[in-house]
Amino acid sequence: METTVTARPRPNTLFILIVPAILLVLAIIVSAGMGAVRLPFGEVVRALLHPAEAGDTGTILFGLRLPRVLAAGLAGAGLSATGVLFQGLFRNPLADPFVLGASGGAALGGAIAVFLLPTLTFAGVGAVELLAFAGSLLAMAIVWNVARASGHFTIENMLLAGFAIGTMLNAATAALGLRQEATNPGMRILAAWLHGEVTVPSWSQIAFIAICEVAALIFALPLARQLNTLALSEEYASQLGVRVERLQILVVITGSILTALAVSLGGLIGFVGLLVPHFLRLILGPDHFRLLPAAALGGAVFLIVADTIARTAFAPSEIPVGMLTAFLGGPAFLYLLNRRQRSSSH
Amino acid sequence: MSTILEFCNVGFARRERSIFSDLSFSVEHGEMVALMGPNGVGKTTLLNLASGLLCPSSGEILVQGRAVRAWGRRQLSCCVALVPQHLEVPFAFRVEEIVAQGRTPHLSFFGGISSRDSEIIENAMEAVDILKMRNRIFSELSGGERQRVKIAIGLAQQPKLMLLDEPTQHLDLGRQIELMDLLRRLNERGITIMAAVHDLALVRESFSKAILLTPDAPAMTGAAKELLQADLLERAFSVERAGLDRYLSIDPMPIDQAASSVIPELDIIDDSEGSQRKKSGWQEYREKPWRPGEQLTERNCRRYPQNLRGAHHRDKD
Repeated sequence: METTVTARPRPNTLFILIVPAILLVLAIIVSAGMGAVRLPFGEVVRALLHPAEAGDTGTILFGLRLPRVLAAGLAGAGLSATGVLFQGLFRNPLADPFVLGASGGAALGGAIAVFLLPTLTFAGVGAVELLAFAGSLLAMAIVWNVARASGHFTIENMLLAGFAIGTMLNAATAALGLRQEATNPGMRILAAWLHGEVTVPSWSQIAFIAICEVAALIFALPLARQLNTLALSEEYASQLGVRVERLQILVVITGSILTALAVSLGGLIGFVGLLVPHFLRLILGPDHFRLLPAAALGGAVFLIVADTIARTAFAPSEIPVGMLTAFLGGPAFLYLLNRRQRSSSH
Repeated sequence: MSTILEFCNVGFARRERSIFSDLSFSVEHGEMVALMGPNGVGKTTLLNLASGLLCPSSGEILVQGRAVRAWGRRQLSCCVALVPQHLEVPFAFRVEEIVAQGRTPHLSFFGGISSRDSEIIENAMEAVDILKMRNRIFSELSGGERQRVKIAIGLAQQPKLMLLDEPTQHLDLGRQIELMDLLRRLNERGITIMAAVHDLALVRESFSKAILLTPDAPAMTGAAKELLQADLLERAFSVERAGLDRYLSIDPMPIDQAASSVIPELDIIDDSEGSQRKKSGWQEYREKPWRPGEQLTERNCRRYPQNLRGAHHRDKD
């Protein structure tokens, strides 16, 4: 008796980029219209096409709504793409920048920059992003080494190491705020980061982060192709001519950059890197090369929608979007963990 | 014929435990070589050394006359393919996506799969007869199917030398015969084969040459039949002579007319599995003439028909 489990045909490459791209544009326009002052779809489009004649609508749109929507999009794209990269790296669908402590490292680095080096910039690059990158890289390096201490890594080691590092770093970030005056403007940023709240960034910050993120994603594409080979195992990939160690280091660095950029906009937003790639994998299959751009676009759409819900559903008060993703992502995480344990037990 | 793989006084130690010291042998182009030896003697290590995954602590390994360390990693992967014993793949990769990974050494860092690559992948899947299962999820395949997919990855590398680590392990008899047929076909197409094998019957039937690794003794190379001698096996596998003799002297039933009464039943069994293709292997297997005078050492196989025949009799008793 043969049970033929044939996978469904997979959508072609153009489709997997065009559909999320259209969704992204729609999400941006609709989300920008939502809020205390409701802007109809047509008006938002008109204001976007003729910004000079937009008047009050333009003030709300360009001063408040669009930066926030774009920040949510960029943060979602970064977290989701990092999820794909780390899942390929650890050969495990549970890997996520938040679960692994990379987000925690980025938040601590960013908080150090906010409180201790508020005026420092390097060649126009914000100290926040740079230190966030350093923090995220450091956290990943520790988790990586601890998880691999026994020679090969197991899910348990990876999750426990990520949990320990993440908890420690988040405590350190919170502790940084204890010694500050309540009036320090950094306190608001710190609170937002710890809760996972998307901030309203300046346009120059958005431009800088968008450029870095696109560059990192383009650089990650050839890495994603090699992650497919790595799925066979480190030895096999190395036998097939992949320089495994170099690949792993580059993936950790690229993932840390993307995490740092995302965290500097939205703080500790959990499980985006887990939910979005998992959902897309069901539709597109596991090929990391196809998954990566789709996950970036899909992550942007996901977090824009989630953030819109977070800021409008309980109006006039807002909830941090990190809370919302935790309620969605937590159960998804448990489901994946449970399924994995079950499949490995027989 | 020229030498494709040569071990010159190779020593290898892991965590200060010496696994080989002074191992020498060579494999010629177009040969089909069995690698025999007890568990833990270093068969897998030897294959890893030959494919450049490990570096020898002493001595030199030459592939096509050139030291392995002088080959570029990707270059070597285009010449030598290692088919590992186990392959576990996370995520729901499909068979054709897995086979496509065999092209990796031929691709540049930024390059994708070209139409020529697709053609090679297609041919590799055809050669091992897995075109029908190309859309299935790899992690849901049976052991025999996985084995063929692994060989297809190796073929997609377009190697001159294919190394296989216990390719017949965990396979039932039908799949074993199919697999050996497949390896012979690949060998006829000009791929040199070296496989670690435990089943001495398979060694005798299919391999032209064998390497016998004995712990703490030099490796022996020779025609497969020459190495299947009781005293050599006794030493290599450190088994008591009495036990070995008992194993070797399982009464080899001649496959004659009497035995052919068993065959129709077997065909029924075959039909129930829905496959006629494996019959050719069967036929070859049972039609091989057996002479009663043949030495036990040459006949040391637990051939299925005899065992089955024995079981058949016992059932009737």
